[in-house]
Amino acid sequence: MSDYLKTRREFVKTSVWGASAAWTVPMFLDRTFAEIDQKTRDLAVQADSGKDREILVVLQLAGGNDGLNTVVPYGDDAYHKARPGLGKEKKELIALNDRLGLNQRLGYLGELYGEGDLAVVQGVGYPNPNRSHFVATSVWETADPSAKSNTGWLGRYFDSECPGADPTVGISLKKTQPEAFGAEKNPGICLNTPELYRWMHAGGDDAMAEEMFASLNQPGEEASGSSIDELGKAGGKVGEDSLAFLERVALDAQVSSKRILEVAAKYQSRVRYAGTPIARSLNLVSRMIAGGLPTRVYYVSHGGFDTHQGQEGRHDNLLGQMDEALKAFFTDLKQQGNYDRVTVLTFSEFGRRVAQNASAGTDHGKGSCLFVAGGGVKGGLYGEHPSLTELDQGDLKHSVDFRSVYATVLEKWLKGNSQVAVKGKYEVMGFMG
Amino acid sequence: MLTEAPDAWTLPEAAHLLNRAGFGGNPREVKEFHGRGRKEAVEWLLAMEAPLDEVPVPGWAADEKAVLAQARERFAGMREGLRGLSAEEREKKRRELNQERQREQRQQSVDLQEWWFRRMVATKAPLREKMTLFWHDHFPSSVQKVRVTYLLYKQNALYREHAVGNFKELTRAVAVDPAMMLYLDTQTSKKGKPNENFSRELMELFTLGEGNYTEEDVKEAARAFTGYIVNRGTGQVTHQKFQWDDGEKTVLGKTGKFDGNGVIDVLFDQKACAEYLPKKLWEFFAYEGPSTELVEGLGQSFRDGDFEVKPLLREIFLSKEFYSSSAVRTQIKGPVQFLVGMLRQLELDGLPKVYTVSICQQLGQVLFLPPNVAGWDWGRAWINTNALLTRYNVAGFVTKGTDAEAIASGGGGAGGGGEQMMDRVRGMMRSVGKNWAGPDYDKLVPRELRGDSGELVKLLSFRLFQTQLEEKQRKTFEEYADAKRGVVFTNSEVAGLMHLMMSTPHYQLT
Repeated sequence: MSDYLKTRREFVKTSVWGASAAWTVPMFLDRTFAEIDQKTRDLAVQADSGKDREILVVLQLAGGNDGLNTVVPYGDDAYHKARPGLGKEKKELIALNDRLGLNQRLGYLGELYGEGDLAVVQGVGYPNPNRSHFVATSVWETADPSAKSNTGWLGRYFDSECPGADPTVGISLKKTQPEAFGAEKNPGICLNTPELYRWMHAGGDDAMAEEMFASLNQPGEEASGSSIDELGKAGGKVGEDSLAFLERVALDAQVSSKRILEVAAKYQSRVRYAGTPIARSLNLVSRMIAGGLPTRVYYVSHGGFDTHQGQEGRHDNLLGQMDEALKAFFTDLKQQGNYDRVTVLTFSEFGRRVAQNASAGTDHGKGSCLFVAGGGVKGGLYGEHPSLTELDQGDLKHSVDFRSVYATVLEKWLKGNSQVAVKGKYEVMGFMG
Repeated sequence: MLTEAPDAWTLPEAAHLLNRAGFGGNPREVKEFHGRGRKEAVEWLLAMEAPLDEVPVPGWAADEKAVLAQARERFAGMREGLRGLSAEEREKKRRELNQERQREQRQQSVDLQEWWFRRMVATKAPLREKMTLFWHDHFPSSVQKVRVTYLLYKQNALYREHAVGNFKELTRAVAVDPAMMLYLDTQTSKKGKPNENFSRELMELFTLGEGNYTEEDVKEAARAFTGYIVNRGTGQVTHQKFQWDDGEKTVLGKTGKFDGNGVIDVLFDQKACAEYLPKKLWEFFAYEGPSTELVEGLGQSFRDGDFEVKPLLREIFLSKEFYSSSAVRTQIKGPVQFLVGMLRQLELDGLPKVYTVSICQQLGQVLFLPPNVAGWDWGRAWINTNALLTRYNVAGFVTKGTDAEAIASGGGGAGGGGEQMMDRVRGMMRSVGKNWAGPDYDKLVPRELRGDSGELVKLLSFRLFQTQLEEKQRKTFEEYADAKRGVVFTNSEVAGLMHLMMSTPHYQLT
């Protein structure tokens, strides 16, 4: 068993036995506990903690956000020509300069821009882009344009820059673990409702059941194989892997459960969040931050951007929901006094075609824009707005490699080395403080 | 052809087939199934003898004319109701009517989810439902975009009808299936301005797989899928020649004045097409990452058999490899498999109505609401810390091994923003939990069999895992049973024990 899993096992012992007051810890265990070696204890504690250090919130706009109707080049005739129905006029926009304007529904982001806390990075992409949602998402999440990596850019950051065995280093509020969290050692955790993030069992003598549960939900001392007999052969590799995987997740769940519950109970926001999924996610992130979790990266997702038809209104609403959620979130953080510790980075797997299609929508495109927002951001426009006439097969050309954006956030915000995470050396941009 | 397994088989092998080709069963059903012998059991699965209407559909879905007329009225009513109003009033009115329509569709989609879920639990033709689920994942459509729930019901019926039929025929039918046409925008794809959505996914996800076509192929094929129109009011699909691009297209090296079926013919001539679906079926039923030889072998059979799915499934279910240690108990149950299987094991016919939908949502697989056009991510993607704990708590609810009321209502905690709607939902869920009766433990575990902890654990292990457990787990469960045992072993103690057994990584595998 790896050191890593050993550490987690020790961690579980602390959490479980520490938690059950009704369960008398036998003396010898108490001693064993005190004797956990120094290395293990160090590993269980994360040095650079989101408790007092910088935090990154990654906000995915799933489906391919239409960058051209998000940050609108209203001053460009080619834009209006390509989008006779979907194009936006200056009066419908929040002008950033005499060429560009933000979608009207991004009122709060407009304010942030005015205050110098919003960076708009334009023309972000990568060479030979892929137009499949799934491949393109993979590319962004793994920072690997060949989409072959089985670890993600944030997972590699956790592994290489966040020593320790604390699974709460990264928390995803998506239904599934994002590919970006894929890691060799520490892929973070998923969380949805803190109150349900625990094992609930009936019966009076809880401590005993808890202990049995704890022992059933961690890798055995021996490397685990397929435990099921009667089928003749020893467990094959595939089976071994599924079970080992499940056992590892089960252990991470136990390790993080108690702490999440404690933290969630600590803080109740006074800011009113909307009922949209993205607002609820950001509300939960703010509670976790306020509660002092060591988490350095949160991942939230806002879906529905695949606007092939009837885009108008729908796309605007989606942007409006994001804007409203971010407004509540940042207001909340300000009240907590955490505003300057949190940066939000948006991304989407691709932008959309310059020209609208026959269905009053837009098809899958390539380069697009993204936002970086928060107290630590040096606001403004970054990257060049791509030309609407010099196209690559009907698509915008990119001028900023998305890995440069990642590298900037990793180096300048999370203060780590970016090279393992983004697989190479990429130019650091100027948008972080 | 894959090497065939002998007709004689073991009980765990029989359970394996029943779990994968269906949703498992209770001990009696597993034993009966085993008694048929391997070949007979496979033939029984493929025969799907139960009638197509074995479980009655929701009332509104039974009357096609009425449901479509109603949808028509809603659209017409919207136009009518808006006439002569000021812009502001019109906006308000439109919103009201929209909300009303959405409420109605939402209710219907809940009915539909509930209906299919119960059908999977009750079915006497398990492979048919399993394949319908497979097709729903392979050719997905989401009620969120399609918005007319009835069309999703029709699509579901199409998949059930073609459950083990011909893949090429089904692909043709899907291309003009109203729900799919709305889901992937074929509806709005017109000559001169084709919409690439369907064309792309047809190649990438439905027939060939990424890397077996070019961007140019997508664009060219999109021109062929123009002019197909679905009438939302009647559900009828027509091909309107004047909106169809009748020019020459070049797709994968073939040139012709293709329409939709013409393109599908070209795709089915590709080697990649013969192998794409067999690989996916193998991964769905057996294990992920089969060898190239295995896939090529299945591809050969599939092409030789003219894309008939039934003989392909027969070959898979009879193959030795399907019962190898790479396959048996290596699959992570998907949420639907997890829940339907659990209910079948516990001899329950369903869950409280609102709870079914809520659990499926929490576990990440809502029927008729796949996350995107690639369907659901399977295998490990189902599991993360949150999903695992949710599964354990769902097991606690279903078995009544824990306080169902607390689980249903969200752990009894204060919750997020304390919004009113959430409070109302929580209140509703609380009463769901309170009224849940749980399994009939007197029937599942007769009192006379509860005397010895070792025997009891053995009995329950077969029900839940269809095999005996490893030493450590067995001992833990026996120890728990011994500790809980008072004068008698009560139903709630059985519940507690079963909940503990299900709160394990092992229970997530099948």
